[in-house]
Amino acid sequence: MESIKKLLEKFSCEYVEDYKKTWIKAKLNSKEDLLSLGEVLKTEGLRSLSTISPTDFLDADVMEVNYFFEDLDTKRNLWLKVDLPRDEESCEIESLTPLFPSAEWHEREAFSMFGVNFLHHPDLREIIKSEDFTGVYPFRKDFDWDAHEKNQVQNVQQIVDAFKKEQEENEVDLDPDSSETILNWGPTHPASGPIRLRVHCDGEEVISVDPDIGYVWRALEHLVTKKDFVGAIVAVERLCFMDNINSMTAYALAVEEIAGVEITPFAKWMRVLLGEVARVSSHFMGLGMFFNNMGLHTLAMWNMDTREFFLDFLESYSGARIATAAVEPGGVRYGLDMVMFDELQKALDKFDSSIGEVEAVFVKNPTMKMRAHNVGRLSGDEVHQFGLSGIVARASGVQTDIRIDEPYDAYSELDLEYITQERGSAQDRFMMLFAELKQSIEIIKKAKAHIEEKVASEEMNPTKDHMVKVPKKLPKGEAISRVEWARGEVLMHLVTEEKAKSPYRLKMRAPSFNHTMMLNYLLKGRTLSDIPLIFGSLYICQGDLDR
Amino acid sequence: MLKILDFFDYAKSESLWMAHFCTGCCSLEMAAAMGPRYDWERYGYLPTPTPRQADVLMITGLVSKKILPALLRTYAQMPEPKYVVAMGACSFDGGPYNDSLSVIKNPTEILPADVFIAGCPPKPEAIIEGLEQVKQKIKNGEPSAASQGGLWKEMEF
Repeated sequence: MESIKKLLEKFSCEYVEDYKKTWIKAKLNSKEDLLSLGEVLKTEGLRSLSTISPTDFLDADVMEVNYFFEDLDTKRNLWLKVDLPRDEESCEIESLTPLFPSAEWHEREAFSMFGVNFLHHPDLREIIKSEDFTGVYPFRKDFDWDAHEKNQVQNVQQIVDAFKKEQEENEVDLDPDSSETILNWGPTHPASGPIRLRVHCDGEEVISVDPDIGYVWRALEHLVTKKDFVGAIVAVERLCFMDNINSMTAYALAVEEIAGVEITPFAKWMRVLLGEVARVSSHFMGLGMFFNNMGLHTLAMWNMDTREFFLDFLESYSGARIATAAVEPGGVRYGLDMVMFDELQKALDKFDSSIGEVEAVFVKNPTMKMRAHNVGRLSGDEVHQFGLSGIVARASGVQTDIRIDEPYDAYSELDLEYITQERGSAQDRFMMLFAELKQSIEIIKKAKAHIEEKVASEEMNPTKDHMVKVPKKLPKGEAISRVEWARGEVLMHLVTEEKAKSPYRLKMRAPSFNHTMMLNYLLKGRTLSDIPLIFGSLYICQGDLDR
Repeated sequence: MLKILDFFDYAKSESLWMAHFCTGCCSLEMAAAMGPRYDWERYGYLPTPTPRQADVLMITGLVSKKILPALLRTYAQMPEPKYVVAMGACSFDGGPYNDSLSVIKNPTEILPADVFIAGCPPKPEAIIEGLEQVKQKIKNGEPSAASQGGLWKEMEF
């Protein structure tokens, strides 16, 4: 940490301060320094740029850009701020993409939503937002959403026109005598979900892949600013329904930090327990999707069977199978009736009785091994460069897990170990999912035993301890929080104004964004039949891809 | 006595195939309905990868502006007779995304649905119940809602 501070001394900074245990927060005075600072940081080891989050301060006439640099090895992180002028002509800054490849799509997103112009970016096209927003920047505070919405029919027409124009122009530049063509993979492909890959291919061989995303863009980051701090969890949990508990936890952590609230041990343990149940149900889907995309649906069916038991527990606890809204700032929403643990015990018993069969038939499956052994390989170095996280990073042997690196809630009391694989192929990512599934079950068992023990000794009161009061109005402030989500690292950057009733800005960094960026890299030179396999192994969810 | 036309309606209704097309998060519960516990194939439902063989289009939750043309195009590609089932709060009025202006808040005004399934997301039992209502509608010989009106007829997609 000290060495990063020493590096920052060479640049003129408004302030350099410690933030949490693993972060340094600094603000650059001049945007001209950014590129040279980036070079120095990269040699220092902070090789991943997690995300870029502009905040539009309308009153101060400032566009504040936040950079989050991470070092996945030594767990040192830097939160860097730079002020830019707000007007669209001069709101520009040097691009960091040549130094940090992980910045590419994040810079495109900042450009699309806020109109921050990144100079010397290799491919600064608009991303996520639909074509009716071309040339306007919807997340700027002075953007008039209501006026834009009045012309809904024209807006949809614009999207249709843009799509048709693209299809007409698609192959104009291609050599008519060659076998090159541009295929649309999605958005109605059964394996794709709502994403479209423009696959430029020569016969079977893939030349390049250009993902077209934004088919489930709900502008969640803008939606939360219209809700109060508790209502915002409705938007936050819909980041992705497969694992919604952990995204709510990330948001709640950020709000609690600004409010200065400490939650009860019972709530902390419940968050761990619920979070791991959500992770298990998500990993079950992920394992099933992997085999689905290879053309075998049996595993998905088997997994769905066990998964139902875990959803039963969530339902008995919160009343909903999926949209639980169970975590909110101040703790967990509901008290616990200890008989609900019977449902959980049923789920754990079901898991223990069925997992051996899954392992014997699918994890040791020789056909899968042959098929996926050498496909979609990522080295540890690439994980750093492209800022990958979660099972994708760990499958390549990089030891990163936010539950261990930056423990939140009750994870610091658990003795967790990194689970990694070496080769980083599609098969390794599948193995990672399976290994983490077992790890999560162990955590659930420990958390359950711990809660039962403390309740029996009356140190915890399950019906009263679940919530502490969080004020409805928060002070001015900002916070970041990170959690290990089922798919990887979720980073939330929350900004509040004085006496705020709702978030001023909430940036949600979700892992699928980086993982989708890898598709072009991994699929180049491979064949069309590898697309579903690699896509499935990257564990992508369109919900958190588009937000 | 069964008339021959009734027989065709009966046969149609008992093997509903739906276009495998996900527009939003409710598709997760659709997957659960396909799973072993609820197993909608018992009732003759089957997801099919191509709209050309489908009888039912399911609007699985939110419809963003960008996916609306794809949804309408999928509907247009389906052979007659075809029915639309709208799942979840989003397909009625935007649901939790009602304040979000990148989401279409009146998808069923554009593409009228024969059956609404309430919930966010609806439970698998509710999905099966909704599809049973489609069956009943076919058995009664009622025309589908989208064939009788809706903004989609005036839109280009």
